[in-house]
Amino acid sequence: MRATSRVFLTILAAAALAAGCNRGTTQTSGGRPRVALVMKTLNNPFFIDMQRGAEDAAKRMNVDLVVQAAERETDVERQMQIVENLIQARVSALALTPSGSREVVPAIGKANAASIPVIIVDTRLDAKAAADAGVKTVSFVGSDNYRGGQIIGDYLVKASGGRARVAILEGIPGHETGDSRVRGFRDAIKSSPQVTIVASQPANWERDQGFNVFQNMLQAHPDIDTVFACNDIMALGAVEAIAAAGRTGKVRVLGFDAIDDARRAIAEGRMEATVAQFPDEMGRSAVEAAVKALKGEAVPADISVRIGLVTKDNAARESEKK
Amino acid sequence: MPRRFVASGRRLGTLAGLFALSVLLWALTPHFLTVSNLLNVFEQTAINAIIAAGMTFVIISGGIDLSVGSLVALAGVALAAALQSGAPIPLAIAAGLGVGFGFGVLNGLAITWGRLPPFIATLGMMSVARGCALLFTEGRPISGFDPGFRALATSRLLGIPAPVVATAVVYLIARFVLSETRFGRYVYSIGGNEEATRLSGVTVWLHKTLVYGVSGLASAIAAVLLTARLNSAQPIAGIMYELDAIAATVIGGTSLMGGEGGLGGTIIGALIMGVLRNGLNLLGVSSFIQQIVIGLVIVFAVLIDTTLKARKT
Repeated sequence: MRATSRVFLTILAAAALAAGCNRGTTQTSGGRPRVALVMKTLNNPFFIDMQRGAEDAAKRMNVDLVVQAAERETDVERQMQIVENLIQARVSALALTPSGSREVVPAIGKANAASIPVIIVDTRLDAKAAADAGVKTVSFVGSDNYRGGQIIGDYLVKASGGRARVAILEGIPGHETGDSRVRGFRDAIKSSPQVTIVASQPANWERDQGFNVFQNMLQAHPDIDTVFACNDIMALGAVEAIAAAGRTGKVRVLGFDAIDDARRAIAEGRMEATVAQFPDEMGRSAVEAAVKALKGEAVPADISVRIGLVTKDNAARESEKK
Repeated sequence: MPRRFVASGRRLGTLAGLFALSVLLWALTPHFLTVSNLLNVFEQTAINAIIAAGMTFVIISGGIDLSVGSLVALAGVALAAALQSGAPIPLAIAAGLGVGFGFGVLNGLAITWGRLPPFIATLGMMSVARGCALLFTEGRPISGFDPGFRALATSRLLGIPAPVVATAVVYLIARFVLSETRFGRYVYSIGGNEEATRLSGVTVWLHKTLVYGVSGLASAIAAVLLTARLNSAQPIAGIMYELDAIAATVIGGTSLMGGEGGLGGTIIGALIMGVLRNGLNLLGVSSFIQQIVIGLVIVFAVLIDTTLKARKT
């Protein structure tokens, strides 16, 4: 009997804690539309910025916003569960950054079946998987990752005088975002025969893996003089690996996303360049698109968010602007 | 039988916990207690529940299996590759299940013949199986299957989602094996006192090896459902699933010391986790707080387990 009541109390207390922590942020007030933003994870500042942008837009447009994310970026199944649960909670519209370009398609099918408009943010769906399953999305909001890869590739060709030995740290294999960045980068350096890629391996978007994979690459190819990481988190991991190898300043580090830590690293000379995406604008545009769709207004199928190169010249300036 | 009484009392405690949680969620949100949401929760719980069924065998036998998440990935990609090569669905499923069972048996042999502690043997397998899955697929997901295969996740039987039916069947069979067969009784007695079991003439190594085979098989069954659900098999699927399965088993009252526990508790444990996650999503609770709540529930469930045991002696 005592055991029974103890489990009982534990769970009550835990749930009450959750409900208490949460008061005021989720109650639907007076039938305002509720927009859900489901992101890949919250352990990357990129998504925190996206959340901030979405919150701004929600406040301005007078809608409620629910933000959810899986604990791990690799956990597509959990992201699907979140989407299913939000469908049960009858959210009015769903903005989603897919953890897997193909794997998330069935979840979107379920949102379609529940007539909830879906806006895809940041990472495109796999076109074929989406077409095969016949799923519909209102709009894609994001930067042109291929173009971003090109921008950084062009920069490298110019900065290195057309001579570099490059290692690439890829994202999770099969992710559209990382694949497009690598493709853009490779295409940009194609015309410079002296810029060669000596190693290219996934580090799954993570800092510790960026560190380990690049450390191993440096062991295998001591002549590497440039690393392009498909996101800044991995690039910062590579920066640490370079420091550990005592080669700071001898390897050019290129990243992607222009998160605050990377801007600082560029200002301090530990990194050389990155590509600025504007996740807060993505979050803002996604919520705006959702609200428009709910009002029945026309929404462009492709909403492009600006993108730009960040080097020492503008690293500080851009981060002040935030 | 005081020991038996305590065990069933704990099960009742877990069940009451599930009930209390449900009542609370019902009071907090109108979206929880609807037929479609409850089916949704059962469907979401299926994968963890099935892995946890295998984990329950392992933990009752006094062991642990850390490789289940990686085995989900490996069995999934084996199944997916077979499907893509045009193999008929039953054959492809058999291939996936065979891989899961086979690697599970390898775990068992490393533990019995190799005399490795289960923690080490399955920790090694966690990495080996993950590596095999990545190597085999070159790191890329295998996706896009026949609707006939996807029906395993998407179809409904009398209104009940297929994964829920599959979970029920798995639990009925597992329960029969654990409580009605000689193998099942040996699992308990090995976990209770391995040496005494050996001295009474039981081929302990064989049964212990099979226990890990069962766990691998359960992971592979979960992999079939996961692959059908996502219409894709990822070599990086199932990361940290072992912890969810261990948590469900332990919340369900199966002792990590071995020798006691059962599947009834495990399914309730899995449901508590499923209902918690679902409810926290419905309420729109921040993802960070969700992790805290789930962690607290696991810790307190085990705390109850150990306090009860301390009182018993």
